[in-house]
Amino acid sequence: MTNTGTREKALPYILVLPAFVLIFLFKLYPIFYSLMESVFVNGTFTLRTYETLIQDSTFWHALWVTIKMNIVMIPLQIIISFCMAMIVNSTVKGIGVFRTIFYLPVTISLTVATILWDMMLSPNNGVINSLLSVFGIPAQGFMASKSQALWSIVIIATWKGCGYWMMFLLTGLKNIDPFMYEAAKIDGCNWFQTVTRITIPLMKRILLFVCVANTTANILLFVPMHLVTQGGPQDSTNVLMYEAYKSAFKYGNRPRSSAIVGVLLVLIVLICGAQFKLLNEKEERTDG
Amino acid sequence: MKKALSLMVMTVVLISIVTGCGRSGNFKSTSTPGESSGSETQADKQTSRSGDGRKKLVWLSQGVGENSWEGITKPILEAYKKATGVEVVGEFYSFKDLFDIIQVKIASGSSDYDVISVDAPMVAAYASRKWILPMDKYFTREEKEQFIDSALKAGSWKGKFYAPAENTSTQVLWYNTSMLDQAVVTMKKSTPENRLTWEEVVDMAKKVKEKLDPDGTNGIYGLDFQQVSRVYQMNALPNSLGGKNIGDDGFTADGVINDDAWVKALTWYQDLVCQGIASKGIKADEMSNYFYSGKLAFMVGGTWTASAAKLNDMSTYDCIPMPTFKGYENSVATPTGSWHFGINAASKNVDTAADFIKYVSLGEGNDMWLDANNDVPSRKDKLEEIMNNDNAADYYKIGAYEAIHTAVTRAVTPGFNEYSTILDSTWEDVRNGADVKEALDKAVEQINTAMKEYR
Repeated sequence: MTNTGTREKALPYILVLPAFVLIFLFKLYPIFYSLMESVFVNGTFTLRTYETLIQDSTFWHALWVTIKMNIVMIPLQIIISFCMAMIVNSTVKGIGVFRTIFYLPVTISLTVATILWDMMLSPNNGVINSLLSVFGIPAQGFMASKSQALWSIVIIATWKGCGYWMMFLLTGLKNIDPFMYEAAKIDGCNWFQTVTRITIPLMKRILLFVCVANTTANILLFVPMHLVTQGGPQDSTNVLMYEAYKSAFKYGNRPRSSAIVGVLLVLIVLICGAQFKLLNEKEERTDG
Repeated sequence: MKKALSLMVMTVVLISIVTGCGRSGNFKSTSTPGESSGSETQADKQTSRSGDGRKKLVWLSQGVGENSWEGITKPILEAYKKATGVEVVGEFYSFKDLFDIIQVKIASGSSDYDVISVDAPMVAAYASRKWILPMDKYFTREEKEQFIDSALKAGSWKGKFYAPAENTSTQVLWYNTSMLDQAVVTMKKSTPENRLTWEEVVDMAKKVKEKLDPDGTNGIYGLDFQQVSRVYQMNALPNSLGGKNIGDDGFTADGVINDDAWVKALTWYQDLVCQGIASKGIKADEMSNYFYSGKLAFMVGGTWTASAAKLNDMSTYDCIPMPTFKGYENSVATPTGSWHFGINAASKNVDTAADFIKYVSLGEGNDMWLDANNDVPSRKDKLEEIMNNDNAADYYKIGAYEAIHTAVTRAVTPGFNEYSTILDSTWEDVRNGADVKEALDKAVEQINTAMKEYR
């Protein structure tokens, strides 16, 4: 009896162990290794890497570009995804077609999407500029423009990612009991009140997941900068992740790269912590 | 059970940290710029070893594919094996991937490779990090003097010879004869001793553009650079106005890349783009295709453009020497430099590697390479041969002259990666309309920060 009881208690942990080992090997250990690499140079503990980083104006500029991009992109993607989920949650005939259309960009890799958009946004012979010329708007620089390059990347990432987040939010919408809406209707709630007082509160858990995952993905966004802009024009798209890549693979400065990645980790933890605080549902304790 | 699990997690994490830190040199970053990797002692031991009798070498290089180096070098490697009994196994990667692999594998002290293809401007960087070994003891003074000055300079760092050149490169001004005919523009005669000026070339380019694409809707450009926004090619412009690439100490950028020559050169180039004569937004990898497809009248490009044009079914082209700026006829500068060979500091076959390198840089292997690839030789005897050969193509003869007389080595600095990344961006920023002086001053500031790691 005792053996069976022990085995039964141990079984969940045994089943979870492979996943835990993988998470440890490919997530936790690299984080620790990276942090150690940023403070151990040639076997000696030193904070010189961080001192140099703090004095480097390029680092502060990259941090600002990262924050600036994500302050706009994260809320934008969540709002658009939420609206898309609301639309495809309706029971209109043929809505499944739109659900598929909205999801299609997700099936393309970000690399391919970036290259395609770069071609479309080309200042020389891109299709977007051709369309604009029909309306008498002069050709725009887009990825070649200091003021437009970052927002062009935001558009690409938003176009690519919203379908993905939409699916999660759609799941959350489907889980809301329709009787809640009926009750709200009976009580005289309008559409806006229904969304803000019923839909969103009941979707807090899903929203929290989407916010955290979206934040992580966007703060670490790298592909468009690497493939198209190389951090330009005039460092306008030089985000921290690209700066970390340059440090590691172009300059061979692994400690600097690890230090930048450490800063990114702190940034993500802070933002996600704030999101947890705002969106986490407090579990009600039931006594007795 | 929760406590037991937490304890288990903490224990595993602590063990990993301790073993990670405890292993000697585990966080000894061999890639920290400017600092000794600690392999100096190991490198010294390897250079003093003699005749190790190994029968296999591994050569890390770029040029993957049968139509590239991978295919071209097969007969050379077979000939070496026949002559010496040593099998050389080539591992070929794309140009970009090669740098990443060197940064990761060679920096970590891997002995998987014996010989490394080193891009000319990276010799100083790899030498300062002790990733490659000095080769002075394998080359006599007479043998070193067989190389042209620019190649010798590029292959050396702090007085030591690290990497002999495989070949060099040079640039000429190619033009589309058909486009000039259509625009009724007559090309003037130009020789290395009596060159056209950039002002004259721009005038012709402007006329072609105005005639063939007056409203700018045909995507035709007058003049551009094959490796646009890359320091390899673009730095020749300020060099031609007397500007240097870096200070004599190999670190100083202030007062060098933001002096009058640089401001003048970049302003001149920006004006070309603003006038629509040169392009904006077209990447270096795409530029040649514009020339081959008749969308670009004049293109400054390498001598390899001729064979590439043939492969792209373009036959209406010709070339002239690189133009000079008016008033600066005595300071014409042409891009130069190509691939060198280095011995991996962690190699276990140092002497054999050195022998192979001599074979492919000065010996029969180099003769075979030049015949197969048609690159510009870095050996003086081969260059003289070309210049005196009546049957040699014009671009080859011009290239040979430039390699000897006007070639300007790229910045010889251990921080070349940072230098070129920053300056490549600066060229592109100027192309996109940034204020020239501000852009150069910003580049100086960034380069100064980067060079701190190496001083």
